[in-house]
Amino acid sequence: MSPDQSEQPISNRIDDTTPAPTERFVFTPPIDIFETSDGLVLRADLPGVSIETLELQIQDNRLTLFGRVESVLPPGAIPVHQEFEVGDFLRSFILSDEVDHDRITARLSHGVLEVELPRADQPEPRRIQVNAD
Amino acid sequence: MPVFRWGQSWDPFRDLEREVDRLLQSVNLTFQGVRAGRQYPAINVHETPDAFILTAELPATAPEDLELTIANGVLTLSGHRHDEAAVSEDRYRRQERPRGTWQRTLPVPERVQENQLTADFNNGVLLVHLPKAPQLEPRQIPVTSD
Repeated sequence: MSPDQSEQPISNRIDDTTPAPTERFVFTPPIDIFETSDGLVLRADLPGVSIETLELQIQDNRLTLFGRVESVLPPGAIPVHQEFEVGDFLRSFILSDEVDHDRITARLSHGVLEVELPRADQPEPRRIQVNAD
Repeated sequence: MPVFRWGQSWDPFRDLEREVDRLLQSVNLTFQGVRAGRQYPAINVHETPDAFILTAELPATAPEDLELTIANGVLTLSGHRHDEAAVSEDRYRRQERPRGTWQRTLPVPERVQENQLTADFNNGVLLVHLPKAPQLEPRQIPVTSD
């Protein structure tokens, strides 16, 4: 991937080969954030998103998740009762400076993304030598 | 649908209408992500020539936490979301995801072979396959007369 491409909006980079559907829903997934002894943990419900269709990226202080959802239905299935729409998931977060960006890890299981945001180590206080003339 | 049709002078209203539509659409979509006040889980049913297909989004539910039973033409789904147990309430900074146990029952369409029901559960999406019973061939009834 060339550097130029990474500057494009996330939705333009996921999949250019499939024919563009007439309408695609994009949902804001519900999330939980909680504290642990090591930092913060974020969980997002992303049903239908697999490792291959999930994009998680950090640019500057912004953590963005984009999950693409493919229909599990066979082609030609006719809706007879519909309570939810199938769509992609997109949400982004501003990370505070207390998060150590280099040690962020994530895993996906049972349609839930879990991102661990470890707290950055506080720099040790440094004694400044004061010299007298 | 535009109500007034007096030529070009009403164009600003058409723009406004379109803008309001767009706004309402985006509001609607935001709420759909949370799906507040709806039965859990939301269920879709689709039909193919030889089966009915039921789909439901069940994130945070492991296959062993999901129970699916069918009896007397009623399909019962029940389960619980498993991943919130270990976290104490005061640790949460934000809590938007639904939680707890749930159960939902659905009447199954007629002409379904209950014993042929299969289910797939991948990435938090449940797909239940309900094959239709084969159509009976029409039978000719001989008519006799004296």
